[in-house]
Amino acid sequence: MSASTGGGDDDDSPDLVCQLDCVQGMVDALSSVRWKRNQDAVIELSVHGIVLIVEESGCLQAKVYLKRELFISYDYGAEGRPRFGLSLGLLVDCLNIFSAPGNASVIEIQYPGPDMQLLLKSVGSPDSCLYAEIRTRIPDTISWDYHFEQAANTPLTFTVKSAILKEAIDDLDWPGSSIQIMMQPEPPVVTFRGEGHGDLQIEFPYYANTDLLIAFQCDRHISCRYKYKFLRATTSNFPSSVLKENRSSKVTIGRGGMLKIQHLVSVAKAVALNQYTDAQPSRIAYIEFFVKPEEDEIHS
Amino acid sequence: MKFKAFFTQDGMNLLDKRFLPALEKMGRICQVYLTPNHVMFLHGLYPEGGDGLQCVAQFGRDLLFRDYRISSQSDNQIAFAADVSLLHRALRSALTIHMQSQTDPNAAIQIKLVKKLPVGAQAPSPYLTFETKGLHAAVVQDVPISKPLSRADLLQLQSVLDSAQELPQTLVQVPDLSQLQSLVDRLKNVGDLLTVSITQYGDLHLQVSTSLVSVGSEFRKLRVLGVHVDPPAGHANLSASTRTQMAVQRGEALSVQLSMKHLVKSLQCHLAKPDCTFYGIAPQGACLTVIFQYFVPGTRVADKSISFYCRLPVLDQGSD
Repeated sequence: MSASTGGGDDDDSPDLVCQLDCVQGMVDALSSVRWKRNQDAVIELSVHGIVLIVEESGCLQAKVYLKRELFISYDYGAEGRPRFGLSLGLLVDCLNIFSAPGNASVIEIQYPGPDMQLLLKSVGSPDSCLYAEIRTRIPDTISWDYHFEQAANTPLTFTVKSAILKEAIDDLDWPGSSIQIMMQPEPPVVTFRGEGHGDLQIEFPYYANTDLLIAFQCDRHISCRYKYKFLRATTSNFPSSVLKENRSSKVTIGRGGMLKIQHLVSVAKAVALNQYTDAQPSRIAYIEFFVKPEEDEIHS
Repeated sequence: MKFKAFFTQDGMNLLDKRFLPALEKMGRICQVYLTPNHVMFLHGLYPEGGDGLQCVAQFGRDLLFRDYRISSQSDNQIAFAADVSLLHRALRSALTIHMQSQTDPNAAIQIKLVKKLPVGAQAPSPYLTFETKGLHAAVVQDVPISKPLSRADLLQLQSVLDSAQELPQTLVQVPDLSQLQSLVDRLKNVGDLLTVSITQYGDLHLQVSTSLVSVGSEFRKLRVLGVHVDPPAGHANLSASTRTQMAVQRGEALSVQLSMKHLVKSLQCHLAKPDCTFYGIAPQGACLTVIFQYFVPGTRVADKSISFYCRLPVLDQGSD
């Protein structure tokens, strides 16, 4: 069963036909929100680009924003914002087939196909063609469509190197289930604290090492707890490009303790990576994670 | 029953660098079939059926050996089973010693069939012995083999081999085996069953379908051996699946369903570094035949002294 909730599909023209010249970048971006093998995703199409949303247990949501500028062509024919569900694992596996060495050609993505499928095909070579038809379904209602709001006038936020954030979260695996994130203005420091099988505290002091926290904004003390497994999902599947390019991640604690973590993933061809990293911010996919706090306590 | 011969330099290199590595991937055990004119390494034929995939590597005797002497009561033919990795290990080890004594014009690796009494055993067992004489040492390695096949079994083996000789009507040359292997390695994540279609226009179409996804790859305008027809007008604008379906309906293509596992295994034959590879579907869709071709070194002329092919069993006739 499949469906499009968007309008404008009375004629035969598809809602979207777009072409991408860096499949590996798209695979990297989508893989970074694939924290388990079988995961359902919802894709939302718009004139601005493609958004992929995955959720778990009403507590963790991740979004991948693929802006239209990432594509070498982007023909959007729908009215409204068509949405459809599919298996994230299948989509990544299929895209991976296109990113095989020696298959560096441009791929075309079309939705919907004759039977509401998502169609992928390689273009450019008249004598060989690779294609995939992925069945879509009516998307589940997003049970927890949270609109992130800042906790106060001054956002509670810090920016840290993605690799350091990942390392810290990986280390917190040892104490286990529940992780407390604290921010305080005096002295300015971010603390991750895990209590479980043992205690582990990791501090990021703002002034002590300027390479550690790139930015820090906090006007009051705040402390929230998050389930480790959700926190881990936010960094566990970083593509290697994020670490190689020394990218940064922005962490914000919003109203009600909602945690927002933003990463940037390069969607540029490998040969042009350095050129694009700085000069062409449009070749970046934005990844956002929202983690709901554990309910017991929010201290501010 | 007697067999002994000396390896030629080409024979050693071919087996060590190309064929034994490929045969090791086909299965642990292979059948070695020696006739007065040919030497064959067989996998999945008779008497063990294996998992259905058949693989045959046949060499002209003079390519692999010199001073080739064979005699038996079964029309001077001998066949036995051996562990491929043991054969390879013995050959590699013999080669190492051989390399150390290359200045000696008499240095050579001899292979022969012997019977020896293993320690603690009551009856002698058959071995294939590799004898290397270096400058300072002679090394003998015994590779245990099965009891050679009886005359009746040999006849049976020959008849299975003969029945595998039927060539597909149309063979297409696949463009790049390593590229195909890389593609299939990724396709195998999608599903376990694969539909292979080959048209008389020179198109090869691979498709994996599950209830959720269908992934395929089409290679067009490939070199064709055998029956070749021109594609109908307007064909180029159709999708790969539609094109293939129409060709099957017109009787200008065959389509079969295979196990992905078999295709992946057969692609390991690229370790034998063939010069070109042809795919074809046997008449009535009996099997997918993969033929690896070798050229006479330095030419584009097919080397008739090497014949290497695989037959992949069909699970279901996809053309119905």
